[in-house]
Amino acid sequence: MDDLFAPPAYAWQRLSPRYVSLRRLTTLIFAPVLLSIPALVAGLALDLWWLAAIFWGLAAVIVVVRWVLIGRTYRAWGYVERDDDLYITSGVLFRSLVAVPYGRMQLVEVASGPLERSFRLATVTLKTASAETDASIPGLDPEEAARLRDRLTELGEAQASGL
Amino acid sequence: MSQPPVPTTAVPGGDDRAPEDAAPVVPDAPVVKQTEWPHPLTPFIRGWLVLVAVVVGFGPRLVNPDEREGLASLGLVWILVGVLVICLLAAAAGFVSWRFTRFVIDDEELRIETGVLFKTSRKVAFERIQSVDIIQPFAARLFGLGELRIEAGAGDSGLRLRYLSRTKAARLRDYLLARAHGSTARLADSDDALAPDVLFDAGVADRTLVTVTPQALVGSFLTSTEFLVPLLVTVGFAVVAAATGIGVVALGGIVPMVLGVFSLVSRRVIAMFHFTLAESSRGLRVTRGLTNLTSQSVPVDRIQGVRLCQPVLWKPFGWWRVDVDIVGYGSRDSENNGGEATSVLLPVATPAQVRVAMSRVLPGFAVEQIATHGVPRRARWFRWFDWWTLRYGWDERAIVTEHGWLVHERHVVPHAKTQSVRIEQGPLQRRLRLADVHVDTPKGPVHSVARQLDEATARELALTQLDRARAARAAARVTADPAAEVRPESEDERRSADAVLAELGTGRDRLLGEGGESQVFALDDDRVLRLYRGVHGEDQPLSPVVDQLRGLYGFWERTRAPGDRALQLPLVLDAGTSHGRTWTVDRRFGGESLAAWLPTADLAGRRAALSSMLDAAEAMARLPLPVAGFARLVGEGAPQTYPSLVELLQAMLAGPTTRSHAHLTRDVPDVAGVWDRMVRDLARRTVTPTLVHGDFCAPNVYVSPPSPGSPDEAPRVTGVGDFSPHTLQADSLMDLTGAVAFLELETYEGAVADSEWLLGQAVQRYGPEVARWIGVYRRYFGFYFSDTAEVEPRTYAWCLRQLDGA
Repeated sequence: MDDLFAPPAYAWQRLSPRYVSLRRLTTLIFAPVLLSIPALVAGLALDLWWLAAIFWGLAAVIVVVRWVLIGRTYRAWGYVERDDDLYITSGVLFRSLVAVPYGRMQLVEVASGPLERSFRLATVTLKTASAETDASIPGLDPEEAARLRDRLTELGEAQASGL
Repeated sequence: MSQPPVPTTAVPGGDDRAPEDAAPVVPDAPVVKQTEWPHPLTPFIRGWLVLVAVVVGFGPRLVNPDEREGLASLGLVWILVGVLVICLLAAAAGFVSWRFTRFVIDDEELRIETGVLFKTSRKVAFERIQSVDIIQPFAARLFGLGELRIEAGAGDSGLRLRYLSRTKAARLRDYLLARAHGSTARLADSDDALAPDVLFDAGVADRTLVTVTPQALVGSFLTSTEFLVPLLVTVGFAVVAAATGIGVVALGGIVPMVLGVFSLVSRRVIAMFHFTLAESSRGLRVTRGLTNLTSQSVPVDRIQGVRLCQPVLWKPFGWWRVDVDIVGYGSRDSENNGGEATSVLLPVATPAQVRVAMSRVLPGFAVEQIATHGVPRRARWFRWFDWWTLRYGWDERAIVTEHGWLVHERHVVPHAKTQSVRIEQGPLQRRLRLADVHVDTPKGPVHSVARQLDEATARELALTQLDRARAARAAARVTADPAAEVRPESEDERRSADAVLAELGTGRDRLLGEGGESQVFALDDDRVLRLYRGVHGEDQPLSPVVDQLRGLYGFWERTRAPGDRALQLPLVLDAGTSHGRTWTVDRRFGGESLAAWLPTADLAGRRAALSSMLDAAEAMARLPLPVAGFARLVGEGAPQTYPSLVELLQAMLAGPTTRSHAHLTRDVPDVAGVWDRMVRDLARRTVTPTLVHGDFCAPNVYVSPPSPGSPDEAPRVTGVGDFSPHTLQADSLMDLTGAVAFLELETYEGAVADSEWLLGQAVQRYGPEVARWIGVYRRYFGFYFSDTAEVEPRTYAWCLRQLDGA
C-alpha cells in the first residue's frame, strides 16, 4: 500500500479471510454463467460455434485474471475508524479512498445475500445525503458488521449535523 | 449458515426529514374545522388542458397527408365528437377530483384531503416546509388562477393545490413561508395582495435583484454550446446529404436534432423568459416563464453548492449561468417546462449580477478572492483537451474547482456542506502519479472534483478538506444555536408586539429589518419603529443604552452647526414602554445601506461613494461633544471620561482581550510584543478628542445613488447610523481606519482593491503620516473585535491579519 492511500497514523483494518473464498466462488460462477448465455444462443440457435468459442474463451480469460488478482483485491480493501470519520480504501486498478465524517451519515445498512450468508459474511454500507459517497465494506464477519453498525450509529448520533 | 439478515439501522438526526410528518391520518377523525375547496373553475381548466393535449397530439396527423387518409375516412364530425367526449370526460373527472379535494390552511395546521374512494389526508408540519411555489399554466393564467405546490422533504412528491386564485395563492404562500421560517405569523396578518400584473408575479414587498432581458436570454441561447453543437451536427448532416444526394441519411440525423433543439428552446428560452430574481423578507424568489408562469422560492439555507458556467462564446460578453444544489431538489434535475422547481438561479447574468446573487446565496463568502492553483504539466497526457483549465483552491469557508474549455465550469462548495471526501486514481493516472479529489455533495448540478492533482497535493487537499469541513460544521452549530434562541417569538412576545404595533399604527407586513436586539418596522416615509426584543415588567424604565443614544442624538440635533446638516444622523423622536416592550420611534434614513449597494455599483460609482465616506468621517469629527475630554459615551456607567487617549483605549480593550486571551496566545506569534508596541504608539499620539463612531463600516452607512433624473451626479454617503457602545470621544483617525480597514470584510469582488485605493486617498488628503497611524489603529481594532472567534470566524480571521505582521 503506497502513501497516497494510507490512513494518517492508523493501520488498516482488514476484511475476513473468508472473503477470499467468496471471491473465488463468485469468480468461478459469474463470468462463465453470464457469457454462456450468448455463447449458447450463438451456438445452438445460429450454429455459429466459433463465436460461442470466443465467448467461452473470454470467460476463461476473465476468470484467470480475476483469480490472479483475488489476493491483491483482498489486500486492497481496508477501513479505519478515526475519531471523527471513517476511511475506506479499495481497488487494484482503479483505486479509491473515501472518508465519511460520522456527522454526515444518514443511514448505516448491513446486508447479507445468500452467497455471503453461506460464507458467514456481511456488507456494511454507509449512506450520506450524497449519492456519490459510495462507501461500503464487503466481507465482514457478521459480529464485526453488527459492532461496526452500532458503533457508527452511536457516533453518527453524537456528531450529527443538519444539512 | 442460517444467519438472519441483520436489520438496517437509521441514524437519528442524520436525516432531518422524518417521514412520519406526511403520514396519512385517519380520515374518519371528527372534523370540526371548516375545510375549503380549490377554486370552482378548476375542472374547466383541467378540461382545457386535455383539449390542448389532444390538439397537440393529433394536430400534426391531420396535417400529415399519409395519416390524414386514415383519419379522414372517419369523417371530421366524428373526430370532433371524439375530442368533445374526451374533453367532457376530463372535465367530469376534474370535477369529481375538485369536489373531493378539500384543504385547511390556518394558524394551526396545513392539511389536504383528496380521494373519492380511498381518501387520503396529508398533514404537514409547518417547520418541514422547504419551499412553496406558485405555478400558472397558460390556461390557468387566463383565468387568474394558479397552482400552489408545497415541498416538504426529499422523496416526497410534494403537495399540490390546484387551482386557487392568484391572490389567495400568493397570500397562502407568504403565510406558509413565514411559518416555515419559524415565525408565528398569523394568516390574517399576511393580507397584502399580489401586484396585479399579469407578466410579473413579484409580490409587493419584493426587491428585484436581477432581471434577465429577453435580448440577453435569446442572445445567450444562440451563442450557447448546447445549442450550437447540435446545430453544427445538423448542418454537417445536411451537407453530407447534399453532397452524396442521399436524403435519408440526412433525415436520420436531422429529425432527432431538430426535436432536441425544440426541447432546448422550451427549457432554456420559454421557461426562462422574464426571469426575475427578487428578495423579500422571506428569502429569495424566482419568477419566470413565457407561457407557464412559475414563481418559486429558493430556500437559501438548504443550498449545498453553486455552479457557475460559461460556454466559450459567452466570454466576450462576460456572461455566466448560475445553478445551485438544493437538498431534496436533486431528483428533479431536468428543468422541464412543466414548471417544476429547478436548480437555475440565473440563466444568464453579467459578472455584477452574479456577484449580487452570490452575495445572497453564499452570504459572507469571498468566493472571488479565493486563490486557485493549476495542475502539473504532466496532466496534459491525460487531459490533452483541457488540462490548462483545471484549477482548484480554497479558503476558510469554501472550496472552488474549475474545469472545461468549451464550457468553463466553476463549482463552489461551502466546507460546512461537504458530505464526504474521496481520492480516486485510475491505472493511467497511477503511472503519472496523478489523482482526483472528489468533494461529494447531494444530488444536483454541482460536482466538485479537483482533477489530476499531484499525488502528494491530492492527499494533502483531501485530508485538510476533512479538517476544514469539521471546523465549518462546528462553527455552523455554534452560530445556529444563538439564532435558534432568538428566532421563535414566544407567545408573550408575539401578543405584546402585536399590541404595540397596533397602538403605533403599523403592522408585521412593514418589517424593514431585524437583528439580535431589535426589529425595525416602517411607520411612514419619515419614521420607523424600533421594537426591542424581550418582554419586561410594565413599570421598568427604559434601558440605559436606549436612553443614552436618545440623549446623544437629541444633543446633536440641537447643537449641530447648520452647515453640517447634510450628513443625516439618527434621531429618536419618541421612546417608551408599553405592553411590557421597549420601543423607540426613529427618524427614517434616506438612501440605502452602503454594504448592500456596493456589490451592485460599478468601479467609478463605488469609488465616488467611498471617497465621500471620508467626508462623512470629517463631518462626524466636527460634531459637538457632550462632555469634555476623552470619553466613552454609551453603555453602563457612561459617559465616563479618561485623562488620556491611551487610557481610554486600554479600558475599551480590557473586556474583549480578556475573552479572547486564549485564542490570541494560540494564533498570534508574540502577541504580548504586538500589544506593548501598540500601547507605546498610542501613548505617543497627541490629539484633541473628537467624536468617534467606533464601527464606521459599510453596513452602518447610508448611500444615496444618483437620482434617475440626473445620472451624472455622483453617489454620495448621506447618513451614518447605528451608534452604539463602540462610540467614543477619541481620535478621528479611528473612523478613518474603520472606513479603510473594515472594507476588507465586504465580500464583493474588488473590496480589497477598493480598500487599498481608499488608503491612498486618505494619504493624499491628510499626508503620509496617516498611513502609520492607520496601521496602529488596525491593531487596536484587531484586539477590539478579537472575541469573535466562535461566532464570526471571518471577523476573527480579519483580526488576526491586523495583528500579524505588525
